[in-house]
Amino acid sequence: MTTLSQTTTQPIELYTNAKGATFQCDLTNRIILQFGEARVSLRITDFLAFKKKVDSVDIHTMIFNTDDAYDVEIIDAPRTNHQFVLTLCDLIALRDLLAGTRFTLELNSLLHARLYFAPSY
Amino acid sequence: MKDLVRMRTLLKEEIEQLLNKQIKMEAHSSSIYLAMASWCDRYGFQNSAGYFYKQAEEERKHMLKIFKYVADMGGTAISPEVTDVPQDFAGFRDVFELALEQEIAVTNSINRIVDACRRLYAYETEEFLMWFVKEQREEEYVARRAVELFEVIGEEGVGRYMIDKAIPKISYDEDGE
Repeated sequence: MTTLSQTTTQPIELYTNAKGATFQCDLTNRIILQFGEARVSLRITDFLAFKKKVDSVDIHTMIFNTDDAYDVEIIDAPRTNHQFVLTLCDLIALRDLLAGTRFTLELNSLLHARLYFAPSY
Repeated sequence: MKDLVRMRTLLKEEIEQLLNKQIKMEAHSSSIYLAMASWCDRYGFQNSAGYFYKQAEEERKHMLKIFKYVADMGGTAISPEVTDVPQDFAGFRDVFELALEQEIAVTNSINRIVDACRRLYAYETEEFLMWFVKEQREEEYVARRAVELFEVIGEEGVGRYMIDKAIPKISYDEDGE
């Protein structure tokens, strides 16, 4: 069993859904994002920037605009040379995956602040 | 498991967002003051134009102070896009009333961020913002005094000329001397 403070050599699963999963690698300080066939490794800053990009897509327009241009959304994963080509269903699944991951990261932060860094007396 | 988010930055996400909004507001203020300086120059109020040029510079310095803080603390400082800058004003007095309104809006905004800092236990940012809390006291005093001059001197006759002459002399002395 690992404690909050320990660095693990194996990537730790952060969140999983039907289309993908995310892991944290403590050796490289990166978030590994597995989505469909794609697998990218992101620095935390890039992960948060990527999440912002994904969250900023106007889903309403994608649903109601019949133009072909709105069928897919292409989003770059920062500094990875990878582009995600996302249908509406992909986008919703990716948003869920990133939101779940963000929640786990936030929870980990909270646990660190309240438990690991809390005085033991 | 490492805390990657905390390792990256001291700033909580909500605080970072609020600071970036404030960066934008300071940049907007700077642009509004620049527009006011231009308006005053166009209508012959040279001293007031000088006052607003100085104010525009000050607001930019405020923006940079927050910008650098966000960047230094590991956050993402966003270079702001400034739009909707009014270029024309109804009159000499209106310019100063709008300037006062702008300062009040900035004070309120700073106070809201301090409030958020207390709610989220972001004491380091609260301490950083105390400089702005103090600065806003001075900024509001100067802006309010400028509007007051319109009452004290009056706009009739050479009134506007006298007000324009008095504007650069306004200063805030905390000790009341």
